[in-house]
Amino acid sequence: MGSHAQLSSQFFGDLLDSIIVDVASECHRIARLGLDRNLEEEEEELRLSAQARVRVADPSNSGEANSKYVVDIFGQTHPPVANEIFDCMNCGRSIMAGRFAPHLEKCMGKGRKARLKVTRSSTAVQNRYSQGSPVSTYSPYSNSTSTSRLSNGTSSGAGEEYSNGTFQEP
Amino acid sequence: MKTSINRPPTPDAEEDQDHQPTLQEIINIKMIESGEKERLKELLRERLIECGWRDEMKALCRAFARKKGRNNVTVDDLVQVITPKGRASVPDSVKAELLQRIRTFLTSVSI
Repeated sequence: MGSHAQLSSQFFGDLLDSIIVDVASECHRIARLGLDRNLEEEEEELRLSAQARVRVADPSNSGEANSKYVVDIFGQTHPPVANEIFDCMNCGRSIMAGRFAPHLEKCMGKGRKARLKVTRSSTAVQNRYSQGSPVSTYSPYSNSTSTSRLSNGTSSGAGEEYSNGTFQEP
Repeated sequence: MKTSINRPPTPDAEEDQDHQPTLQEIINIKMIESGEKERLKELLRERLIECGWRDEMKALCRAFARKKGRNNVTVDDLVQVITPKGRASVPDSVKAELLQRIRTFLTSVSI
């Protein structure tokens, strides 16, 4: 190896070593000051979970009051009134899910107007239950040939079930 | 307090009075006085950042610090950790560029 080449190589080596010391010194500083920990994922996780714990423990964050803006574990928000739309099996109208119970009350006869509707039940049944009783025109003990359209295929017998409880056993 | 840097002892002044400077030392002095050493170091540093070498070295240091515990790390530890890999992983093009510059300088100062 020519002397120039040797000298150059040696000088390059010294430069490199000097830069290595600089990098080591900087990393030493970062390690001792804990500056690197900010990038670590587990630290991030710990911080996020601590934040979440604070939020849960805070009494002003009760679910009911803020349900408009509360986010569930999948990150979804839900409107305070369920807004899926389907058809009422009684009258066939399109109803919003969150408004179904009040609709059903009217539709099935709790309300004054509903009782005036022409139904498939025999008029005898209608007359029997028409005096101020909150019971609908669909009696479970009906001897009519009609089947209740609300019953999802079960024939009329004792105790048909209506999920939002507007139907009362006589 | 734990020392984090090992320094070699300062050499005694009297021993060096008959000392002839080596070629190496002469070059070093000329390099420093002309400012070329600083420029070369900056150039090398920049090239090593561009090619990701510095990030690699920093990753090695981070891994070591995590293993040993970040408050137990010394600068000497880290120098030992990255020197072998550091010397071996300089891209050839970077090394060639620097060597070329150094050789040009040597010629220009008639060594």
